[in-house]
Amino acid sequence: MRRIKRSVVSTKSANSYHRFKQINGIHPLQSEVPGSFVKYQARKRHGGKVAFFNFNLAREVGLLNLDHQDQINSDLEKEILNTFSLLIINEYDIINQTPIEKEDILPNLYMATRYLQLQHPGKKGRTSGDGRSIWNGSFTGTDGKIYDVSSCGTGATCLSPATHLEKRFFKSGDPTISYGCGYSEVDEGLGTLFFSEVLHKNNIATERVLAIIEFPGNIAINVRIHQNLIRPSHLFAHLKQGNHGILKSLVDYYINRQENNGVWKNIPKGEMKYEYFLKKQCEIFAQMAAKFEEEYIFCWLDWDGDNILMDGGIIDYGSIRQFGLFHHEYRFDDVSRFSTNIIEQKQKAKYIVQNFIQAVDFIKTGKKKSISFFNNHLELKEFERYFEDYKTKHFIYRLGLNKVQQRYVQLYCKKDISEFQKVFSIFERSKSKRGPLKVADGINWSAIFCMRDVLRELPQLFLARNKFINDEEFIEIIRSSYATKNDLKLTPIRRAQIKKFQGLYMKLADSVAKGLGTIRCRVLLEISMRSSVINKYDRVTGDSITKLVGRLMNSRPKLNSSELYSLLDDFVEYQNLDPDTKLKEKRPVKITDSKQLRPFKGLLRIVRDCREGI
Amino acid sequence: MRLIFYSGGEVKQNKNLDDVLISKIANPTPQMTYIPYAHYESEIHFKEFVEQYQIYGIEKFIYFPVDVPYDQILLREVLKSDIIHLSGGNTFYFLASLKKHKLMPLLKTFVKRGGILSGLSAGAIIMTPSIDTAAYPEFDCDENYEGLKNFSSFNLVNFHFYPHYKNSKRYDKALKHFSKKIDAPLYACPDGAGIFLDDQQLRFIGQTACFYQGKKFILNK
Repeated sequence: MRRIKRSVVSTKSANSYHRFKQINGIHPLQSEVPGSFVKYQARKRHGGKVAFFNFNLAREVGLLNLDHQDQINSDLEKEILNTFSLLIINEYDIINQTPIEKEDILPNLYMATRYLQLQHPGKKGRTSGDGRSIWNGSFTGTDGKIYDVSSCGTGATCLSPATHLEKRFFKSGDPTISYGCGYSEVDEGLGTLFFSEVLHKNNIATERVLAIIEFPGNIAINVRIHQNLIRPSHLFAHLKQGNHGILKSLVDYYINRQENNGVWKNIPKGEMKYEYFLKKQCEIFAQMAAKFEEEYIFCWLDWDGDNILMDGGIIDYGSIRQFGLFHHEYRFDDVSRFSTNIIEQKQKAKYIVQNFIQAVDFIKTGKKKSISFFNNHLELKEFERYFEDYKTKHFIYRLGLNKVQQRYVQLYCKKDISEFQKVFSIFERSKSKRGPLKVADGINWSAIFCMRDVLRELPQLFLARNKFINDEEFIEIIRSSYATKNDLKLTPIRRAQIKKFQGLYMKLADSVAKGLGTIRCRVLLEISMRSSVINKYDRVTGDSITKLVGRLMNSRPKLNSSELYSLLDDFVEYQNLDPDTKLKEKRPVKITDSKQLRPFKGLLRIVRDCREGI
Repeated sequence: MRLIFYSGGEVKQNKNLDDVLISKIANPTPQMTYIPYAHYESEIHFKEFVEQYQIYGIEKFIYFPVDVPYDQILLREVLKSDIIHLSGGNTFYFLASLKKHKLMPLLKTFVKRGGILSGLSAGAIIMTPSIDTAAYPEFDCDENYEGLKNFSSFNLVNFHFYPHYKNSKRYDKALKHFSKKIDAPLYACPDGAGIFLDDQQLRFIGQTACFYQGKKFILNK
């Protein structure tokens, strides 16, 4: 049952790892958009070891040959450390003349990019950006696409909040200050690794971890890759400051990269390309917001456009969560303020689009108008349309219908699906009568119903009984551990909602059956098979990732990087909730490999125990 | 009591067994339940299971993993099925889950009431008095990583079952040795073969080896 591992021994030619050489600090931004970053010299950092390397990702992007085995050999380890084990020579080092061996100084300069961060004083992005990261550069993969590479934990830059709050430069690794010290930790890397790989597997755009390099004291450099690491906040810093030239260059740079990577096609020439850019960004952010809401992904979006990539990908997993239930009242407590909640994400995404509108207008006219001038811009209406459209599409997908059935419902069952969404939402958003409560890292007002459970079980019960289940049974299936007896009272209104829920569900199944020339039970069977994957009993949550990382940290002395990779690979496969890829896998009928569950037992139990959490 | 023991193998290898199984269903709209040995990745096997029996015109299937919490509502429907199938996998883990959730008495009642219980490999072993054969022989056995100590199982029949049997001296030596330790016959079936039990009547489908008190007999040549 275990996925077949690559057993082919790598043909270890002298240039097997030649693409690593492209990652040397040099990046197109340096020549195309000067002013968008701070340059740093860097030096080799000794004493590191490769705690993790993402073989799948490295093969996908062409850093490794396709036949490379999932093992680190001495040549590969050397290449990884030579490329990524580095520390910037920062302002503190220069002022204090930190002694550095000449042969350790790397030949090229590395970028700490500037971007807007609302927690920085000034709120215009003059002093904010990569506070403990640098961009290692970019490389062209075997697929012809250009990938950006950056590392977190490479030393304290002048763009960290601490530098500006305390008005001094920090020594990298200064133990008197945590976030501003420029270092990162192994558990941060592992958390990002597991979360991002699971989300990537489930078609959520995200940065991905290529490697974790470990140093004594739980210190780490976490290397990440994405096709385009530009964030809205990179643009917005220069928009707020009124730097027309840099803003235009950044947008041009971004458009070019999207075109070169084949993400965007048939881009018009001249000024029209900015309209194209705007439409694309509007669509991307509307879809992203809808998908996050439907998948219960909490991502702290705000007007600075910091915690997200321009292409809607997730970056920086510090506050990312995936809820088991629709905990729409959860807010992260960031000491000085609370975050947005999952429902407010949409408005924040829309406001980011409004900033794009302002940016494009500024680029075209050379005059920066007030953001409120664009309050009624047509593109914001488009945002609403895209959002609703995508939310409905994704909702239909969640039900478990196959592609043809999904299309049929979108086209011919608009009214019923809209009504069903409404009644579904009533249950999904039901909260406990206990009210708001403090949780480990914020506040929450618990949701009480697990919609994933009812979506998984209802088609099976309808298929078996060919009639509605009773109200008590419905509540029994849908109730979560957060629900109190008081929360579950079957009032006349709730009874009516249950009836409506089941009625519309059955009506949709019947419409699909009739419209596609089949029978109800075949539709329900298809739904039940797909829904058992999409709405799997134990999907990861933010809580489960936190606990899972804790467990891995405890067992890490026994786990080498290859074993960690193997564990991740299997875990991610287990969390593949895409029936279109999952159900196509061919596996042997005879299952005798009893070792398959053992490495997971602990991890699976954590995921199971935390499945309703935040 | 109607039980069917599948050894394993590809779907096409098991066609004869499937034919027998389906021929015993009286209900014109039968319902089959698939119980995987573990929740892990079992959705894929459920789909394969559905495809295997859909060709017989069966439309109603229930997927019922037992190593994750489940509600009584679906369990009630499971027990109304015409056929309940216990999948292959790790026999120790499977038995431990069935015991933990106290499902064995319910499944026994299901069988006594006329339901057909089928099992493949681990699922078949579980229907016998004990799962000793899952731990035997050493060169081809399941790993007892659950640390299960009590191997007693459903005890629905008075024989033991050995799936995936290979007709070789090595296996024969091991199984003869094993048969000396038990006071009931041990039926060993290669993939594609199996046994159907219908009210105490045993029917061997495909070639089966019987090991009894240290001797080997070939049945259904």
